[in-house]
Amino acid sequence: MAQSLTHGEPALPADWRDLFALTKPRVMSLVVFTALCGLLAAPGSVHPVLAFSSILAIALGAGASGALNQWYEAGLDAKMKRTAGRPLPAGRLDPQTALQFGVGLAAFSLFLMLFASNWQATLLLAGSIVFYVFVYTMWLKPRTPQNIVIGGAAGAFPPLIGWVAATGSIAPLPVLLFLLIFLWTPPHFWALALFVRSDYAAAGIPMMPVVAGETSTRRQILFYALIMAAGAIAPWPLGYTGALYGWTAVVMSAVFVLLSIQVGIRTTGEGDTMQPEKRLFAYSIAYLFILFGAVVADHWYPL
Amino acid sequence: MTDQLPPEQPPFDEAEYRRRQRSRANLMGWLLGGLALLFFFITIARLVGPK
Repeated sequence: MAQSLTHGEPALPADWRDLFALTKPRVMSLVVFTALCGLLAAPGSVHPVLAFSSILAIALGAGASGALNQWYEAGLDAKMKRTAGRPLPAGRLDPQTALQFGVGLAAFSLFLMLFASNWQATLLLAGSIVFYVFVYTMWLKPRTPQNIVIGGAAGAFPPLIGWVAATGSIAPLPVLLFLLIFLWTPPHFWALALFVRSDYAAAGIPMMPVVAGETSTRRQILFYALIMAAGAIAPWPLGYTGALYGWTAVVMSAVFVLLSIQVGIRTTGEGDTMQPEKRLFAYSIAYLFILFGAVVADHWYPL
Repeated sequence: MTDQLPPEQPPFDEAEYRRRQRSRANLMGWLLGGLALLFFFITIARLVGPK
């Protein structure tokens, strides 16, 4: 059940900007980009209209997941400074509208994917929505500090769906790209969790820094960064990508590991501004964009 | 007395209500038009284009 809100029913109809904010547009940009890269790196050609429609379906599916996540977590969001201004906790939108919007958008995204692409991609898209909403949001997130580790799979689906939308089948490269996002998620989110730790503690969400403490989280960031770096470089020696991607992955991953070492070995005192953590978090976003861009560049312009 | 009165509901703003209704209706119109076009082009692409 959704957390109940203390606000009364808004008298005014929902503003479209609030409905748009419900879809977590910033998260969606990364989803769209990685899905597009998965689709563009796939062998063969896809009609541009079908490619556009498939990516649109993935974006709408991600938006639906975001909306249903915000609907379920409205009560928790109200307790966190970072999320208190979202449409539901701020009382600008009623939960019923958010739920209907999320379910409607999810159904439409699946219909569009089926119409424009194939049933395999539609099944994967449905799986990613179900995983994000039911497994991650409702089950893992409020229960275990490993929420981000297992839940990372939800965000790792887009390149796989993009590839399957183009080819109708799964291949080793998109599975490795899935693995890359899966392993990237813990250091990315734990870097964020370190500098918004008090927010998560206030909301009672068992994020790693809240449950296991800072030191343990920092070590785990470093541990996952090392595995992620190996996973990022793997497609090159395995022969699924060329040197262009390989060298990009080597250089970008080396910087990622260096930034993670900075975060992993330090201790903080009162009033620490958490600059290394913020730097790692910002870099991790650029890292994923650049690496996925390199996958496509390598496919189209091999060295 | 220091007791505070409960916060009053803001007065119903009919102009804002109409503005939001109009804005949503406009957006819905454009979206439905766009989707009709998209589905038309998808149909054409599936009929004639490479897949």
